[in-house]
Amino acid sequence: MSAEEPHIEPQLCGDSAAPYVLRALTEEEHVAFLEHLDSCAVCREEVAALQVVAGALPALAPQLSAPPELKQNVMASVREDLRSGAQLSGVESRAPLRSMRRPALAWLQWRPLLASGALAAAVVLAVIVLSSGGRAGTRVISAEVTPRGASASLRVSGGRAQLDISGMPQTAPQRVYEVWVKRSGAPQPTDALFRVTASGDATVGVPGSVDGVKVIMVTAEPLGGSKVPTSSPVIIAHLS
Amino acid sequence: MLADEELMQLVYRSNADAFEVIYDRHADAAFSLAYRMCAQRALAEDVVQEAFLSLWRSRARYDRNRGSVRTWVLGIVHNRAIDALRRRAVRDRGVVDDEGLQERIAAPERTDLDVARREDAREIRDALDELPDEQSRVIELAYFGGLTHVQIASMLDTPVGTIKGRMRLGLAKMRMALGDPAEMVQ
Repeated sequence: MSAEEPHIEPQLCGDSAAPYVLRALTEEEHVAFLEHLDSCAVCREEVAALQVVAGALPALAPQLSAPPELKQNVMASVREDLRSGAQLSGVESRAPLRSMRRPALAWLQWRPLLASGALAAAVVLAVIVLSSGGRAGTRVISAEVTPRGASASLRVSGGRAQLDISGMPQTAPQRVYEVWVKRSGAPQPTDALFRVTASGDATVGVPGSVDGVKVIMVTAEPLGGSKVPTSSPVIIAHLS
Repeated sequence: MLADEELMQLVYRSNADAFEVIYDRHADAAFSLAYRMCAQRALAEDVVQEAFLSLWRSRARYDRNRGSVRTWVLGIVHNRAIDALRRRAVRDRGVVDDEGLQERIAAPERTDLDVARREDAREIRDALDELPDEQSRVIELAYFGGLTHVQIASMLDTPVGTIKGRMRLGLAKMRMALGDPAEMVQ
């Protein structure tokens, strides 16, 4: 390899390029720096120079073999997308980076909603259908959705589930959507935090196995998510 | 054999077989990175699965001018893993790492390409090892540990500005040592 001298400027603009390429800025700093990059050629150049180093860092990880079942799950979802005619999406949901805020309202607050089914006007009754032409064992569950004009379906295959959402409103700037799973008792939080695209779309994998899960829900939570829901669910999918 | 970039043209046209080839080529690296960061098999699997599905569904966004397919894949995996790590850190402080170390089955060197990649990895490791400890440490804590510069500053009881400076100096030195890492085997 050559030893080309990189063009990296000294400390400018808060020295944020390096933590940016390492993804070590806080969420607020990350957003602010992205905006800053639009107008700062110096920082863009520094990011470009440092990004190639960050891009090489994965090679430092001990090389392992991916589990075969992982491929089965991924390709099953891909082929199911094709069968269901899913459209290309610009979705790339990213979790926020800030620490969790204090949870306030609890599961108790919206449990009656589940019992009564008294969600707002745009509620779509949960219907479990075999996906059209889908492979055996794949279910597509239409979810109850609160925001008017929005829709969501839960695709369950091989013990895994994925939410396909469209027409959802944007969360407030300091909030994100969070996915919850409920087996018995209170709903449990997951690592799935997301925002929707400008058109309100998102595709979100439900972490872990959904074996034994009765309900999957989505609420809007503060950045970093919550341990218990702090708002009423906007999406509810019944698996059983 | 089609190059990744040629395969991505087929993937763009919703060719699942082409996507499967992309998966086969990069899944081990993706899982390796996710496992290195998450240290839990189940979480790493979730990260990789979500990353590849995200890649499939946002396939129209791939721009070969912005880097290789491998870099794109691993970038998505890195972002997903950091999201998962920070989420877990908030909820499960002190979580026990994966006990299933026996599951860490080293990937065999299967092709000349794998061998070349391992040589590149050694060069990158050497470049990192040549840095002062305080610089290599902040880079590893940030990139693989998913910590923000603020968290690292608190952990090391060091001013935030110093941490950011160490990151910049460390990466800049690695850039000089490696020449153009983008030209390494992808």
